[in-house]
Amino acid sequence: MSTINPTKPNLELMEPVLPTRALPAGRGRARRTPLTWIRHGGLSTLLFLLPLLLIFGAFSWYPIVRLVLMAFQHTNLVQPATWVGFQNFSEVVHDPLFPIAVKNTAEFAGLALVFGYPVPLAVAVLISEVRKRRGLYSALAYLPVVVPPVVAVLLWKFFYDGGPSGVFNTMLHWVGIGPQPWIQSESQAMPSLVLESTWANAGGTVIIYLAALTGVNAELYEAAAVDGAGLWKKIANVTLPQMRTILLVTLILQLIGTAQVFLEPYLFTSGGPDNATITVLLLIYNYAFGNSLGPSYGEAAALSLMLVAFLAVFSLIYLRATRSWSTG
Amino acid sequence: MRFKTRARTSIRMGGVVAAATLVAVATSSVSPAAASVPVVKISVASLIPGSTAAATAAFNAQIKLFEQENPGIVVTPSTYQWLGSTFAAKLAAGTLPTMFTVPFTDGRALGDNGQLADLTPYADALPYFNRFNPAVIAEGIDAKGKVIAIPEASYAQALSYNRQLFTEAGLNPNDPPTTWAQIESDAKQISDKTGTAGYAEMGANDNTAGWILTTLDYALGGRMESGIGSKAKATFDNPQAVQALDLLKTMRWTDNSMGSDFDWGWSDINQAFSAGQVGMFISGSDVYTNMVQSYNIKPSIYGLAPIPLANNKNAGVLGGGTLCAVSPSASPAQVAAAVKWIDFYYLQKYVNRNAAIAWAKTEAASKQPVGTPEVPIFNQTQENLYNSWIKPYINVPLKQMAPFTTAIFKDQIIPEPESATQAVYGDLDSVVEAVLTEQNANPSSLLSAANSVGQHSIQSGS
Amino acid sequence: MSALQFRREPGQRSEETPQGLVSFTDWKRPSVKYGLGTAQVALLVLLVIVGLGPILWLAKAAITPTQDTLIHPMGVFPHGTAWSNVSDAWSQVDIGLYLWNTIAIALGSWVAQIIVATTGAYALSVLRPKWGNLIMGALLTTLFVPTVVLLVPLYIEIVHPPLIGGTYVDSYWAIWLPEAASAFNVVLMKRFFDNLPREIFEAARIDGAGKLRLFTSIVLPMSKPILGVVSIFIVLASWKDFLWPLLVLTDASLQPLSVRLPAIQGQTELGVFLAAMLVACLVPIIGFLILQRRVLRGTGLSGALKG
Repeated sequence: MSTINPTKPNLELMEPVLPTRALPAGRGRARRTPLTWIRHGGLSTLLFLLPLLLIFGAFSWYPIVRLVLMAFQHTNLVQPATWVGFQNFSEVVHDPLFPIAVKNTAEFAGLALVFGYPVPLAVAVLISEVRKRRGLYSALAYLPVVVPPVVAVLLWKFFYDGGPSGVFNTMLHWVGIGPQPWIQSESQAMPSLVLESTWANAGGTVIIYLAALTGVNAELYEAAAVDGAGLWKKIANVTLPQMRTILLVTLILQLIGTAQVFLEPYLFTSGGPDNATITVLLLIYNYAFGNSLGPSYGEAAALSLMLVAFLAVFSLIYLRATRSWSTG
Repeated sequence: MRFKTRARTSIRMGGVVAAATLVAVATSSVSPAAASVPVVKISVASLIPGSTAAATAAFNAQIKLFEQENPGIVVTPSTYQWLGSTFAAKLAAGTLPTMFTVPFTDGRALGDNGQLADLTPYADALPYFNRFNPAVIAEGIDAKGKVIAIPEASYAQALSYNRQLFTEAGLNPNDPPTTWAQIESDAKQISDKTGTAGYAEMGANDNTAGWILTTLDYALGGRMESGIGSKAKATFDNPQAVQALDLLKTMRWTDNSMGSDFDWGWSDINQAFSAGQVGMFISGSDVYTNMVQSYNIKPSIYGLAPIPLANNKNAGVLGGGTLCAVSPSASPAQVAAAVKWIDFYYLQKYVNRNAAIAWAKTEAASKQPVGTPEVPIFNQTQENLYNSWIKPYINVPLKQMAPFTTAIFKDQIIPEPESATQAVYGDLDSVVEAVLTEQNANPSSLLSAANSVGQHSIQSGS
Repeated sequence: MSALQFRREPGQRSEETPQGLVSFTDWKRPSVKYGLGTAQVALLVLLVIVGLGPILWLAKAAITPTQDTLIHPMGVFPHGTAWSNVSDAWSQVDIGLYLWNTIAIALGSWVAQIIVATTGAYALSVLRPKWGNLIMGALLTTLFVPTVVLLVPLYIEIVHPPLIGGTYVDSYWAIWLPEAASAFNVVLMKRFFDNLPREIFEAARIDGAGKLRLFTSIVLPMSKPILGVVSIFIVLASWKDFLWPLLVLTDASLQPLSVRLPAIQGQTELGVFLAAMLVACLVPIIGFLILQRRVLRGTGLSGALKG
């Protein structure tokens, strides 16, 4: 599935836009037979909707239902599925790897927030004030985002080689720091992953912030200047509040996205060393695809469901809490 | 009435023809098959993806030979590597080739779950079936006594060492270490003098770390499991396992003789060794074949020695092997054809002089390794016969592997832990990783913690 | 010159910084001029090192002999170049095949997603069926469900399709079709269509245009900007896709670059492998350099959408 951050809709926009054309007279009074439906263009509308309905039905709505069902079943694709109630959930919760995966995922999300949230903001503000060749700055910032994640991870895996002739270790040597184990060490593994992930994704956030910055009314800056505000005051009193909405949305999106991290732990360390980098998604993958004798699809589905539920509840709480901040 | 009789006659005749074909192919190396056999298509596991062009060409030449002798069968090669992470998915999706291979660890469990075709009638028809080494053939027989896989290779764990690095470090390449203390000191000497990893241990999170740790444990006289079947218990925290981990800990942190990479998997350790970056490591006794087929290793640097065994009666060499199995969705004709292929490609060379020589010639002509030391899958008499047949074509540096080949016959070979083997290895992975990446790791508490996870794996049967 | 639009107040001098955070007079002050100026130069240097650096290193290493890369990773061709890495990547590793697979998958994804998004958005926005809101609601619900979480049921659906039987593992349809279920695309398109002037539609209708004609001759041509942006996103996302093709394409000869590269790492010499990696990221990078403005504008747009 694509690695674009899943978007969360702004609830205010969910209200339908009223149709701009008047309904043809008499429509409401016509009898609703199949023929009238066809005559009023219902069939052709349905035809237009067909691709969407079929595709979403087959590959979006049906799997969601299936996921919920599977979480309560024992499936191995060879024999028919059997209902097992909450057994899968109980197995997952009692798995010694479960608390470790949750903790690691939280650690990744937290670290990613520390590195990946304020830094793009600072960069965007700086870039927005560049007078010449601003496009160059944007392009450079976005370039890592264009690199396929697999290439980025494999490249950084090489950079992270623990020997003295590893790329990063060589660079550390220039400034007099000894070679580090990087992903070979339990304590450094997760931060190493976060560093690469930030490199690969921060550019997108920078561009979004840049776009939001252009929406800040220049007159507000002038007004602030008139009031005697210096640079930092302007940023605090004008820039940040004006960008409130985008800042809040980006925060929740980033948290949701990093909670699902899979590629980095899978390709860098396979969840090691000593389970230091196993995340919830990796655990789901291992349940479903990690056992050479047979999969535990039920447990994978149960954990997936738990993750969705958690993210949904988290998002709702977040929306509630920030509702007062994001309006206005 | 007339038609029925004719039909019955023709069926009987067809059966006779088919049986004759089977017998003819099984007992002689070159025999024209009867023209009335319909075309059967099977796909077979070939080489690991990424093997050299020469190796692939040699394999395809073997396919051609087989198709010439069996005009009714069409064989399609399919690059294949058994990996714990992908096998189950492929099996479920039905995308495995008709004939594929699985390690000893999984054969019986898959058979018990009904995930492999029943080969009993075809296997029994093989004339040399009773010449199999009983311990080895047992790996392919399920709980009900049916043959669900046929062994094609058996190996014992061994110590591969780089003769060139030994020489550079001032050690005698013809005198590999025979005790663990010597391994430790040799490793230190190699890493001090040459800057490479004197001793490397697999540490990848894909069951290989646990596999090698189990090897070390066995070599010191310990066991990771006791009992079998439903009474099996995990015994990870045995004193020998602690001893093995302590040794690794010393080599890693005190001697610093293990290099700076600790997540070696089966392939990359072979790759690094072939590139001269590793002094010694433990893996199967047959890895030389992979090194030639995938990495073009320089033959003169390869040395093979037995794993040092502790001085106690339980110390032994972990053995393993590979089984050939057939997809459960194959038709009977396909199963028969697949068994013929197994017989031709994997087994004929052991039981038939002409086949042995033909195979050896073809392989040697494409510069593929002939004569890599093996643990016999047939009984000793057959094995000696086989070795005499291929002697003129052996192109692996057997002299450099002599330390292993002379010792292996008296060393005790012990089968892998019987219950939930791959899962048990997986549970031990993190123990090895912790010891290699955390200086203050405590082996016995790590093993105790892993033990309860292992017990859970054994009980849940996967 | 700048990729981003900026609002210019009437009467604002062109030398004034677009955002107004730092005004024209501010720039004249030495503390600002040197302080902020230095910060910006430092930022540029940092962006070059951090953003461009790794890729330049990859390009260098792709044509450096393996031993040099291992022993002197930061050196620049201490013993000359090794263009053979690239040719070996082509012949030994067969990078051309995987490159073609990646392209084929991207093209198919593009077709599938554009069809679903345009027809669906057209129906919801212009034709407005009775149950339009219901469908829209169902679409938006799927946005709440993280895609990776649907992996397991989708995988089982591909392996054992419920109604049609057979199996779609190792078929590109297993990638093209599920990815077409992108609510994000539909919402983007619908937003755009909603903003199209309805008078044109009315005029066309009066002229006797049917629904199909309206779609092909009026709506689609007017949607070129959004189609461009969405297309770029689709192709880029498809190029970067990893986990789903990994699960569904088990046949090595069908796999795209992102799935194949990690699998062959154990079997491939380092120099050749790095060359292969370079080939894998050249297409998106070159595409980005050519289409910079569209990509950056589109990213900003999607950000605004999320807000």
